[in-house]
Amino acid sequence: MTPERLAAKRDLLRAVLDTLVPAGDGFPESGALALDHLLAIAGASAEAGSLLARALDAVETAARADAARGFAGLSVARREDLLRAVERLHPEAFDALVRHTYDGFYSHPATIARLGLEPGPVQPRGHRIEPAALPDLARVAARGPIFRRA
Amino acid sequence: MATDDRSDVLVIGAGASGAAVAWRLAGAGIGVVCLEQGDWVNPSAYPHWRADWELHRHTDWSAEPNVRRLTQDYPVNDQASPISPLMYNAVGGSTIHWSAHFPRFRPSDFRVKSLDGVADDWPIDYATLEPYFDLNDRMMGVAGITGDPAYPPKSPRQTAPIPLDTLGLTIARGFERLGWHWWPSDSAILTRDYDGRRACVNCGPCDLGCPIGAKASTDITYWPKALAAGARLVTRARVREITLGPDGLADGAIYYDGDGRERAQKARAVVLAANGIGTPRLLLNSRSARFPDGLANRSGLVGRNLMFHPYAMARGVFDRPLGGHRGPIGCSIISQEFYETDLARGFVRGYSFQVARGLSPIASANGGSVGDRVPWGGEHRRAYAERFDRTITVAIIGEDLPETDNRVDLDPTLTDSHGIPAPRVSYQLSENSRRMLDHGIARAREVLLAAGAREVAFNPLLRAGGWHLMGTARMGRDPATSVVDAEGRCHDVPNLYIVDGSVMVTCAGVNPTSTIQAVALHVADGMIRRRA
Ligand SMILES: Cc1cc2nc3c(=O)[nH]c(=O)nc-3n(C[C@H](O)[C@H](O)[C@H](O)COP(=O)(O)OP(=O)(O)OC[C@H]3O[C@@H](n4cnc5c(N)ncnc54)[C@H](O)[C@@H]3O)c2cc1C
Ligand code: SF4
Repeated sequence: MTPERLAAKRDLLRAVLDTLVPAGDGFPESGALALDHLLAIAGASAEAGSLLARALDAVETAARADAARGFAGLSVARREDLLRAVERLHPEAFDALVRHTYDGFYSHPATIARLGLEPGPVQPRGHRIEPAALPDLARVAARGPIFRRA
Repeated sequence: MATDDRSDVLVIGAGASGAAVAWRLAGAGIGVVCLEQGDWVNPSAYPHWRADWELHRHTDWSAEPNVRRLTQDYPVNDQASPISPLMYNAVGGSTIHWSAHFPRFRPSDFRVKSLDGVADDWPIDYATLEPYFDLNDRMMGVAGITGDPAYPPKSPRQTAPIPLDTLGLTIARGFERLGWHWWPSDSAILTRDYDGRRACVNCGPCDLGCPIGAKASTDITYWPKALAAGARLVTRARVREITLGPDGLADGAIYYDGDGRERAQKARAVVLAANGIGTPRLLLNSRSARFPDGLANRSGLVGRNLMFHPYAMARGVFDRPLGGHRGPIGCSIISQEFYETDLARGFVRGYSFQVARGLSPIASANGGSVGDRVPWGGEHRRAYAERFDRTITVAIIGEDLPETDNRVDLDPTLTDSHGIPAPRVSYQLSENSRRMLDHGIARAREVLLAAGAREVAFNPLLRAGGWHLMGTARMGRDPATSVVDAEGRCHDVPNLYIVDGSVMVTCAGVNPTSTIQAVALHVADGMIRRRA
């Protein structure tokens, strides 16, 4: 499947992503955050694109057998069951789907901010570490040499 | 074929050891040319300047050449190894990627046969290397604190230790409760400005390089000084083979320049610094009528005795945030409680604990080095929240003993982009190493629980953990059982030297680079002495 065909299935992809990483605790659903990343990955790497397409095809086929309205029309519990079946049958493709979903979701500035971190590059700002006294090393030092002289 | 001017010394590889040797020789007035297959890394190219920096860890900034696949990389067939070799190919070599955890080998590490009856003694000892450890520390810049009872006294460290922060203080409490050894680790990272370089700003991902030069990579430590002393560095120059003169001595190398043209570099002496995989690969690719099995390989040991440090990982989950995203990723604390041999533990030799910082957002989702991904679906949010910024990972670094069947040879079909045969790695974890890692896992669990972890998970053997490449052209006195002598000279070709991790006779239970560089400086001084 080409990236264009994958893009044509964006509604299905979004519903799958929302099931993999559902909203909650102030985090949006992953469909909203990771979709563009997955499409970009599929465009950048033929290998990744074909794995993602394989996973999505499997979901589509399984969903069609399950309900006329397709994957998006299923209950959350049913969606999860269906994805678990796909995971069992196509472990490599499903692994790629989950990995790229996590990559997209957990690199998105909205997620980073919700995690309590500052989104954006880590340089030049770095992180401030509050100065703290080093714990007393006297106990360790008092053991004397613990190396063997050779 | 174009032939470059003859130099006194040709160094192959501009990484940790190549840079040190080039600086030392150039400073003594010896003409040095270094051929390096990679290029300079432009500080603005590091991913740290981009919002999506973490994504690059698994693509163009991966430490695995087989994942990165940049033009300067060569593939490594590692199908017959449970550990994947990691490296970087550039000016600075693997120190571009390294975490800069900087312990030295200990005195007993050079006397393994005499003390414990296994492997071999080194033909040099801690006392021989001590002045070079100190010199190298000054060149690299080391954060730390003296007084560690696990070592003979050391010279003052260049800067104060890396801050322990909440995470380090938490695990230190665990070590204290158990009464075990621990110490703020020596790290080749500056905590204040030093030698024209800036202090660390605790941004985190040193394993992707350090864009501000606070972490010591040799492109910013040794190389500027080596070049100022007159060394010449040719980048994008991939060496295919070392050549021999009619007298059987090395007389240079054939390489491909940045435009793919074949060239010859002539030299009076050749120094190999291409790392524990690249060096045996080059020797095995340099066959001739004199050396049908590879250059300097009359012992048959070139490529054999490959040692990684096998790593097991233990990760504790805590009930409170630990600020693990702050500070250098691989540095803060070392413990050598189980370092020296105690046969009652069921294995010979020992290991260190290295405490790493916390996991960044994507790494947390994928389980970090333990690899147990956070489940997807309805459980995901809760499971992720329980882990993110609440984990401490303790790495168990085991001493691997040399075994001839663990080896690098040439792959019969795989080549790099110049058609040069690529290396193939065959490695099996020994029973001794397995028992050692299992002991380490159990003890790591104890210390994590003592520090307050409510659950602990393990990875019994880290696949993406081949950071340390050693042993494949070992040092020794006997030409039948070693490749180089005590001064890094090949027994079979006395003007061919090896200074990288290949020469290590045994690998100790700590990260090797401080010792690799000290050996390189020691070899350089032997060359200078012989010339004088
Ligand atoms: C991710 C990572 C983390 C690490 N963390 C630590 C740590 O915390 N502490 C520690 O002590 N060590 C660490 N290491 C290991 C450390 O980087 C190495 O031990 C050290 O760099 C080895 O030095 P070397 O000179 O043997 O080889 P390298 O530094 O690897 O240099 C070899 C150079 O030779 C060049 N070369 C190879 N073949 C050719 C050829 N045919 N032609 C031209 N050039 C060639 C390569 O391009 C490379 O630049 C880490 C390594 C990695 C990858
Ligand atoms: S944590 Fe410090 S040493 Fe590491 S990359 Fe950031 S600034 Fe450099």
